[in-house]
Amino acid sequence: MSNNNQPPKKRIIDVDIHESATYKDLFKYLENPYRRYIEDANWIQEKHMPYTQPSVAGVNRADAVVPDGRPAGSDLPFMQEQLLDDIGHEYGILTGALDPSPSSMHGWYEMATALASAYNDWQIENWLEKDERLYGSVHINAEDRDGAIREIERVGSHPKMVQILLPIDDKMWGDPYYHPIYGAAQKHDLMIGMHHNEPPIYFGKWPRYFIEWHSLLPTSHMMQVTNMIFNGVFEKFPKLKLMMIEGGFTFVPHLMWKLDQQYNDLRHEVPWIKRKPSEIMKEHVRFCTQPSEELNKKDFLSVIDQMGSDEMICFATDYPHWDFDSPHRSLPSLDPDLKKKIFSENARAFYPKLK
Amino acid sequence: MKQQTVCHVNDMQPGELRETELGRISIVVCKTPDGEFYAFTNKCIHQGGPLSKGKLCGAPQSDNPGEYTFCQDGEILRCPWHGREFNVKDDGRMLANPKHKLPSFPVKIEDDYVIVYK
Ligand code: FES
Repeated sequence: MSNNNQPPKKRIIDVDIHESATYKDLFKYLENPYRRYIEDANWIQEKHMPYTQPSVAGVNRADAVVPDGRPAGSDLPFMQEQLLDDIGHEYGILTGALDPSPSSMHGWYEMATALASAYNDWQIENWLEKDERLYGSVHINAEDRDGAIREIERVGSHPKMVQILLPIDDKMWGDPYYHPIYGAAQKHDLMIGMHHNEPPIYFGKWPRYFIEWHSLLPTSHMMQVTNMIFNGVFEKFPKLKLMMIEGGFTFVPHLMWKLDQQYNDLRHEVPWIKRKPSEIMKEHVRFCTQPSEELNKKDFLSVIDQMGSDEMICFATDYPHWDFDSPHRSLPSLDPDLKKKIFSENARAFYPKLK
Repeated sequence: MKQQTVCHVNDMQPGELRETELGRISIVVCKTPDGEFYAFTNKCIHQGGPLSKGKLCGAPQSDNPGEYTFCQDGEILRCPWHGREFNVKDDGRMLANPKHKLPSFPVKIEDDYVIVYK
């Protein structure tokens, strides 16, 4: 294991870093016949989005392409140079690049499950065990629930696996279907990470323009949080917590007010909920700063004030994606205590496996 | 006056970007398709992305949803991070919000060499 034995320049726990694999990288970890299906047919990874991509290098920062031409996020030394050492990360949490994506197998569950396992092994060997600062996410094919639970049991106790990245599909996350997965998560001290995996919205459809889709990311976050809270997931799994990745945070006060008011009016429908939804959110749900709107200090503090908590947001860069947030430039200047919470302490308190 | 010789005028292709230093400032030099040169700070005014890693491209324009015309090919500097577009022919003004512009630097051509100065 290596780390750069220096104290970090900036105490940052970055909760969204995208490492990326090609099918070829996974061959070593993929059993047959799955490996041969891909190899013999020269199967190319599918593209997920119906748009030409937003920026000058697809979904990635143009300067994050590995100098030898390999895709952004695919090379540890380059990521160390450009991100971890440069900014001086204390920890970074890997969240994958949805590609190859077990959630996109459209019914070939056994292939998706095999790919998720191969991905986890590749991630552990090539990233988590090569840099002390990196922690990882368990990839599962949630459509094959038994397979997903087997996978959680297989790799979930790895000391550097901190969360399960649950794909968004056609069932909302409060649905009892997922509860056994939450039970397995709780058993291994894994949190649930939500990244806007495809399909991006509940209905599985795409708006006409990328700018619409990207603007509406928080709506899919609002749906899942609402659904999990009112379906009683956090009453049933009191240790389970939810990290909402890449949806921003400025919508959170609205959601808290809305859910509390609804609860006051309609509690009789969900009598298993014993606390105000905003209290449940404060205890169980964390949101990422990225992608952050351009807020001045006053605006930023007013959002925090409206949340009634400065412990709910965690810093993320989303490296190497095009909407990367620079730790130096994306947030306004903040008081040291608050800065410390957002840049590191909130995430440290959230993930029990981070020391 | 600080100045820096960048290259021979023919060393850059129309539509090409090049990074250079002017003292301690990193500069991006642009050559537009008409052979003109422009120089700007190489740190995007949004979050500091290195503009020289972006693209000199064009600007889709339209007054009707769903219709496009493609204009100013090679005159729009697009940031490699969040893709903001800056019009190099209009003093580096941002297309979406012309109130903002990239700090620019004068360029002169002497004996067929491109020189930026401040
Ligand atoms: S840093 Fe250039 S667009 Fe954001």
